[in-house]
Amino acid sequence: MKLTRRLFMSLAGGFAALTTGFVAPSFAAEMPAPFDDPGKVKIALVRYISTGDFFQAYLSGVEAQAKAIGVDLRIFDSRQDAALQADMVDQAIALGVQGIIVQHGLTESMQEAVQRALDAGIKVVAFDVNVKNPKVPQVEQSDRDLARLALEQAIKDNGESFKAGYVYVPGIAPLDRRDETWLKFKAKYSGIVEKAVFGTLDNPIANSVANQARSVLQANPDITVMFAPYDEFAKGVKIAVDEAGLTSQIKIYSADVSTADISAMRESGSAWAATAATNPAVVGEVSVRTLAMLLAGEDPGHNVIIPPTLITQKMLNDADIKNMEDLSAKLPQFAHAAVSVPAWMPLPPR
Amino acid sequence: MQSETNKGAQDAGTNKPDNGSKLTDFAIRYGFLALLLGMVLFFSLAAEGFAGPYSAVFIFQSVAITGILALGVTATLVVDGFDLSIGSIATSALMLSAYVMVVWEMNAFFAVAACLVMGAFVGFINGILIVKMRVPDLLATLGMMFLLIGLQRIPTEGRSIATGMRLPGGEVANGKFPPEFLALGRHRLDFFIDNLIPLSVVFLVVIAVLVWVFLELTRHGRLMYAIGSNERAASLAGTNVNRYKIIAYMISGVLASVGGILLSARLGRGDIASGNNLLLDAVAAALIGFAVLGAAKPNAFGTAIGALFVGILLQGMTMMNAPYYTQDFVKGAVLVVALVFTFALSGRRGGGHT
Amino acid sequence: MSSSAVKIVGLTKAFAANRVLRGIDLVLNSGEITVLMGANGAGKSTLVKVICGVHAPDSGSIELYGEAFSPATPSAAIRAGVVTVHQSINDGVVPDLDIASNLMLDRLAEPGSSFFINKRKIRAEARKVAADMALNFDVTQLVSELTLAERQLVAIARAMARRPKLLILDEPTSSLSATEAERLFELLDRLRDSGVAILYISHRMSDIRRIADRIVAMRDGEIAGMFEDKPLNYESAVDAMLGQTMSDFDLDFKSPGAPMLKLDQICLRKTSAPISIDFYGDEVVAITGLVGSGKSELADVLFGLSKPASGKMTLLDKEYRPGSSETAINAGVFLCPKDRASNAVIQGFDITENITLPFLTRYSSLSFLSSKNERNVALNTIDKLDIVCQSAKDGIGTLSGGNQQKVMVGRWLSQESKVLVLDEPFQGVDIKARRDIGQKIRDTAKGRVTIVMASEMDEVLEIADRIIVMGEHTIKGEHKNSDIDINLVLAQVAGLGAADELSVSN
Repeated sequence: MKLTRRLFMSLAGGFAALTTGFVAPSFAAEMPAPFDDPGKVKIALVRYISTGDFFQAYLSGVEAQAKAIGVDLRIFDSRQDAALQADMVDQAIALGVQGIIVQHGLTESMQEAVQRALDAGIKVVAFDVNVKNPKVPQVEQSDRDLARLALEQAIKDNGESFKAGYVYVPGIAPLDRRDETWLKFKAKYSGIVEKAVFGTLDNPIANSVANQARSVLQANPDITVMFAPYDEFAKGVKIAVDEAGLTSQIKIYSADVSTADISAMRESGSAWAATAATNPAVVGEVSVRTLAMLLAGEDPGHNVIIPPTLITQKMLNDADIKNMEDLSAKLPQFAHAAVSVPAWMPLPPR
Repeated sequence: MQSETNKGAQDAGTNKPDNGSKLTDFAIRYGFLALLLGMVLFFSLAAEGFAGPYSAVFIFQSVAITGILALGVTATLVVDGFDLSIGSIATSALMLSAYVMVVWEMNAFFAVAACLVMGAFVGFINGILIVKMRVPDLLATLGMMFLLIGLQRIPTEGRSIATGMRLPGGEVANGKFPPEFLALGRHRLDFFIDNLIPLSVVFLVVIAVLVWVFLELTRHGRLMYAIGSNERAASLAGTNVNRYKIIAYMISGVLASVGGILLSARLGRGDIASGNNLLLDAVAAALIGFAVLGAAKPNAFGTAIGALFVGILLQGMTMMNAPYYTQDFVKGAVLVVALVFTFALSGRRGGGHT
Repeated sequence: MSSSAVKIVGLTKAFAANRVLRGIDLVLNSGEITVLMGANGAGKSTLVKVICGVHAPDSGSIELYGEAFSPATPSAAIRAGVVTVHQSINDGVVPDLDIASNLMLDRLAEPGSSFFINKRKIRAEARKVAADMALNFDVTQLVSELTLAERQLVAIARAMARRPKLLILDEPTSSLSATEAERLFELLDRLRDSGVAILYISHRMSDIRRIADRIVAMRDGEIAGMFEDKPLNYESAVDAMLGQTMSDFDLDFKSPGAPMLKLDQICLRKTSAPISIDFYGDEVVAITGLVGSGKSELADVLFGLSKPASGKMTLLDKEYRPGSSETAINAGVFLCPKDRASNAVIQGFDITENITLPFLTRYSSLSFLSSKNERNVALNTIDKLDIVCQSAKDGIGTLSGGNQQKVMVGRWLSQESKVLVLDEPFQGVDIKARRDIGQKIRDTAKGRVTIVMASEMDEVLEIADRIIVMGEHTIKGEHKNSDIDINLVLAQVAGLGAADELSVSN
């Protein structure tokens, strides 16, 4: 039922956009306060990090959803300066916003800043940063689910016992969470042998990982599965596998997706078998919707988790998906997540 | 006497060459090469699959890009300059080549030409900033580095470039990396074994030989070394100092863009990256090169050996499952040892180069 | 009135084979200014360096007020009360600090001084130091804003703040004007009256007349003469300083060949008087004059490093207008610059590479260097100039100063030139090297114009067929060396009309 409604609403939104070119007013009458006059509602997005495809897409999702509701969105970008990000929360408070989305950041620096915002009567939603505050819903893409989907596909393709290489850099929160799942799988399936662990975040990451992966393949020619739960890692591993001429013997399972990843997965005979991903644009939309629910006095729940989607080489080829837009258009489960969608919520046009 | 007034005076009494130092001399000359050999032996025994033609080729390939950049750094070090912008020139070339092929849908020739022209132009601007505007080299190239890191992201609004990407204007880019371009980074030549040597390794070797010949055997190289040692004296000996300095930065820029082209061909897409790691690795290779054969000055052969040294170390350690941070640690340690070789041990040989 | 402050007995010092000090016996009295005269290379600077702790003597002893004095380092000498103000003014001051900090610098650098700087206290103490020496400076002024003379006074005041027993001044007036020098002399008068022993090194006659209580002349590492009876016999002192070198050295004067280089109404500066002069093939012309007389500017103009304000030059009947050192060299005009360490020597290179540097085009084909050609030229130069080395591949830094200078001169003799300009070619070389270099310059002079810039009169007399005196950026006099009135030359150098006014510049 839910699905139908959502589909209907997105269709309706798209229709409205096509016919009037103007989405928000058509829903305004139905929306609860303060969205009966959405133009007067100011919200802020306070970003810790903004460069890269993922964050670009996230921003586009935030913008699309904010436009759909009709609120006034202000964007603050601290460019990975934790102290500046905290200051920007104060700037947003001074600006008189009603709601703030905190996108990434450090717990230590954001915890107090967020408390100041709450004290000022502002609603706050946090994405991918734990601000340790029960009043702040945490929007998360489920890293554990990402890893689980990719690994389940790996077991489906390769059976319950295989020799694996694993790309991992400890100390990066999402990678650490994905690592938990990997550890569980290893414990559960005793047939999985971890032959090598490697990884680096040296820029350009794909190039550095490729150099490492090649050494690993040289040292462990019996590896058949590479688990690279971050797409930059997977790109690097794929380069190494191709260079070593092992394309047909090794399968790569990863997390995250981008246009470039799609074309790499679709190369003929590509070793990159599957990836699990959450659409960053959807994450952005959910962040705004969660904040809107708070502002309307509704409870989105403390943990707002966006379920990931499994994307296999076969799905891409069957549907002839070339880029992220195709992916959203042709894999509906990727284009939208039924999270934080009360009945009155207008959705962005598709 | 007046003749002793300058540097000689202070240490005339204390610092005279000690004669029984043949061993030190030997250590300075061959110490680093011996270390290299020892390392190869160690890894051959300790890491299964390390010894062998594939492994050797892998090592060369993994250092090809930083090695080519390092040769460019060497050219600027020779004239007592420094180029901090090479990493960002390389990533700019990466983005530019991708943009030319994917967005403008032009062929590989134009992509390569555009990158080389861009590298030469950036080097030229660096040179002009340094010799005409009198901006200190570190500051000029630091500024250029930031400028390029930003500039390369402007056309795509910070997105990576790949076939099928949606441009800021809304249309979809349909160009592809043509196979002849990808071959630059991926094609392998037969050498006793089929498909053994990647083209990028050939580029590294050829460029290293060319730079070596240029610096050691031609008068231009000699004059550049003269400028690096005593710019004013070189100028009074009739050397066009400004021209050679600009040339050095152009060499650096062009070689960095060659590195960027190979990176682009290997990755097959225009990935945004700052290139700072490329810079640091290249500089490390060039500085390690000071220690090779006790040269105590920037030199092409040493730079190539320096790059190889780091490559062997990383390959061996990765094969032995050492995590990435220990690799950084070891890289740093090698650099420090090399610098000690250069400055503490061979400093007394009167290199005089700072 | 005075007691012996410093007593030096049998002091010797050698650098390798070069015996710089050959047994010096000297007494310096408190409350007296002793002037130490000596030609370049006589050993003055080495003597000073031994006294102030830079060098240890090979033999001999020094007593300071009856106690043995053998400082291991300059700072030990300073603690013992021997303070030196060096020739290069900027060694004595820190330009980016204010006067107060400069005067108190030694105090600040002392171990155990407080970590934080109390500006007001420092200024108060600095004012006191300045007042003691009757200097009325605004102590908050930056030293970089001061004139050279004022900086020199600050350097001396800083030295005096240490309450020295012996003050050594090494050519302190070499970059000062006459009025600026007079300020310095007044200060020295006061110091003498307060009982400080002062050793004043100079060969500027005007300085010596003004302040000397006694004169010690040095030559070739020995005391050549001591003059204490009033009135002081300055002429004898100069003779003692120059010694018999002139009579030892017979110049074979050459008759000038055809005119090769003509300067026509060349004005070095907009305001200076024009220079018109012809230079002839085969002859060696020495150009002398004080610091700032325009010698170096003339060399720059000849070598294309700067353009004259007006006028033109003709080289072999063609207009000569060099735009850079490169074009000058291509036209056959070479310059061997002064101050070889900063202007000529490539420290990272060996002897061969240093010699061939300007002419690499001639030793290469298609840009590739021919090491055989290079080596031949280098060996030839080493042989001709008697350069002492192990091989042509020796690093230049392994050579003595004199041999380095020979390499630098040899560099420009290694190819034929039409005009060879040598700016202070004897700077910082010992007498033997000076003779070797001078001889080689004269021997090869055939077929070219040779111009030697030199400020030391004995160097000038040793090398030249013709002597030109410069001052105020123009020519003040022209003399044939074969028939020379030295007093007139010296008067012209000093910029004075009176023929009896002796003044040898530095």
